[in-house]
Amino acid sequence: MDSRRTTASVNWPGLSVFALVLAAWEAAVRSGTIAFEFLPAPSAILAGAVELARDGILLRDLLHTLLSIAIGWTIAMIVGVVVGLLLGFSPLARRYGLASIEVLRPMPGIAFAPLGLLLFGFSLQTELVVTVLPTVWPVMINTMGGIANAPPRLTDVGRTFRLGSYEIVRYLLLPSALPSIIVGARISLGLALVMAIVAEIVGNPEGLGYGIVREQQALHPEFMFAYIAVVGLLGVILNAGVLAITKALWPWTAPRQPA
Amino acid sequence: MKPSAKLAALGRMAWQLPSPRGLLPLVAALVLWQVLQTGNSPYFPPPSAWWNGLVQIAAAGKLLAACIATLKTIVAGLALAILAGIVLGVLIGTSSRAARALGPLLEFCRAMPPPAIVPLAILFLGYDERMKLTIVALSAMWPILLNTSSAIQHIHPLLLDVSTSFHLSPFDRIRLIIVPSVVPAILLGVRIALPLTIVLTLLVEILTSIEGVGALMITAQRNFQSGQVYGLLVLVGLFGFVINNAFSIVQAVILRRWPPRSVQA
Amino acid sequence: MPQPIFECRSASVTLALGSGPRPIISGVNLEVRDAEFLSIVGPSGTGKTTLLRVLGGLLQPTNGEVLIKGRVMTGPPEDVVIVFQDYGNALLQWRTVTENVAFGIERKLSRAECAERTNDALSLVGLLKRAGDYPWQLSGGMQQRVQIARALAVRPAVMLMDEPFAALDAMTKAGLQDELLRLRDRTRTSFVFITHDIEEAIYLGDRVAVLNGSPGRIDEVIPIELPGPRDQIRTRALPEFLSYRYRLHGAIGHG
Repeated sequence: MDSRRTTASVNWPGLSVFALVLAAWEAAVRSGTIAFEFLPAPSAILAGAVELARDGILLRDLLHTLLSIAIGWTIAMIVGVVVGLLLGFSPLARRYGLASIEVLRPMPGIAFAPLGLLLFGFSLQTELVVTVLPTVWPVMINTMGGIANAPPRLTDVGRTFRLGSYEIVRYLLLPSALPSIIVGARISLGLALVMAIVAEIVGNPEGLGYGIVREQQALHPEFMFAYIAVVGLLGVILNAGVLAITKALWPWTAPRQPA
Repeated sequence: MKPSAKLAALGRMAWQLPSPRGLLPLVAALVLWQVLQTGNSPYFPPPSAWWNGLVQIAAAGKLLAACIATLKTIVAGLALAILAGIVLGVLIGTSSRAARALGPLLEFCRAMPPPAIVPLAILFLGYDERMKLTIVALSAMWPILLNTSSAIQHIHPLLLDVSTSFHLSPFDRIRLIIVPSVVPAILLGVRIALPLTIVLTLLVEILTSIEGVGALMITAQRNFQSGQVYGLLVLVGLFGFVINNAFSIVQAVILRRWPPRSVQA
Repeated sequence: MPQPIFECRSASVTLALGSGPRPIISGVNLEVRDAEFLSIVGPSGTGKTTLLRVLGGLLQPTNGEVLIKGRVMTGPPEDVVIVFQDYGNALLQWRTVTENVAFGIERKLSRAECAERTNDALSLVGLLKRAGDYPWQLSGGMQQRVQIARALAVRPAVMLMDEPFAALDAMTKAGLQDELLRLRDRTRTSFVFITHDIEEAIYLGDRVAVLNGSPGRIDEVIPIELPGPRDQIRTRALPEFLSYRYRLHGAIGHG
């Protein structure tokens, strides 16, 4: 019964369309219908990816990007949660801080790349400058929102049960804010990946982003596509990973399916 | 509503900023920086040097042209993205078969971070304005497309019952019920696409030195003109701020008819 | 006996669910006469909403048929309009009250005629003053009146109402019940009113049909004969009213 349900729930039309597109692409390139020198066949891309992996180049670049994301995201999370909590709990902090945040927030992270290059040259620090600054905001805003937008009933419940302020925060407000903070963390992680790639394309010549540019300039489209595919895959895996971990730690925060 | 009352309401909407006292930390930081920066540090020039840097570029006649070039790309790219996003979003949202068939393909395209595609676009389309516009429009299209199709798929079934009950033709159904009911979602998609267009425009300009503010920035960095780099940074920030707020006003005006939703920070 | 304006003959609906075919309603027979108010009362789970969808042409019965003015229905007919319980989602929140009321007729009539009918409908429900407002600016009771006005503008032969007052508070409900009776007198529309509230069914109806059991069937149809114009306090205190109440409670208890 279960296996029947899983086969039924697999999106056959969708997967077959996907497979069809890949097959058509492969056929078109092999038969010469599409003779665009920069468009390789899917098989060539796969072969390229395998070759890069075998030579260890892919792994090296992947690890660098992962390191960049890990450090950048961690810093952003720490700063974002701390400042977000401060803003969430203190209307005074909001009054004297929100306007500045609203002015700084729309600053595109990419704009910091030339600055990073100026200060740190081609290095990891430049990447971090570009990664941390934009990724702080989603976490901060979502943490602040999670606390400030907590249903007012919640504090009433705490006071009815004669809980002290610390206990209200720890047992009621923080758990209630958790789903919002987690959403902020996921958005930040995705953003950290994108900004790390951006920083590597424009600044620091290391990592997956640089891999894309390097292969583009060397006119190796199959390697370039392989790098792009890895980047896409990385995004999916990171997001799924965060979802899985948070679901394991705090099962009640998982997004609910409509009944 | 009387015209003066309308103007007042618009004014209230325009003042999107929370309490202006919140600008204090920013102003204080700038003042401190200016005061403490007495030496001629090449890495942390005082705000006065930022201003001078901008004046330098303007004097060379390059500032205005670059701003216009960047703005043109952002606006044109966004317009194209909105058009394509809505049309495709409606198509996918209204046909459950299309949604299912294109599902994995769409998910795949969505997972591709747009900046990673930029070198690809450069390879395929070369180093020109058309490439810049194409990549910006194609990437910004996704949030709009996805928000539109998702909202259509989640339209309250009662609205569809109403359209059946009143004998609406499929075209009328889309025009009178489906599209109006997802306008708030479309605008949300545009709101997400907006910073994306700015980032991508700048990215292409920085990478390829095609005319624009980004090109100015990378030139300044290569020439170690730190004042200019900071000044342009502030300029870009101002750009982003103004564009975002302009959009908020437009969004508020369009959404006058719709029930107010809870606003997120 | 004049021909019924609206008829349901042996209608059955069986849905194919994951666990197998489930009959929802079976062998339902109903007749609605001209300018009549027919209440349909039944507990939850008896297929009231399904019956309404069949009567409104939104669902084709698996067996049996529905006739409007003697013609078999194959889809939502021109002469029948549904008023839904969930007014929030049944009204177009982005259109003004006037634009909402005009929704059913704007594509069929000239601008002048449309405006005239819209104004008539709005004055019938007493909402002319709020014509330029949006539904989300109105209370629940007012929004429901907008929905009723939208239905009236179409000048239907039959108005189907799916527990329209269930989401409203008691006082608003009472006011709207009386308004509905006034509308029936002035417009000569037939009403099919589905409710789970026995007293409401008796108060409003010329006849009350009892939908009961699983699958739902019409167990009996009770003609309501109550003296004089209906009044919320006096009519409900009449001994005849109470005896109908006992009868219907008993009828619903079984099956």
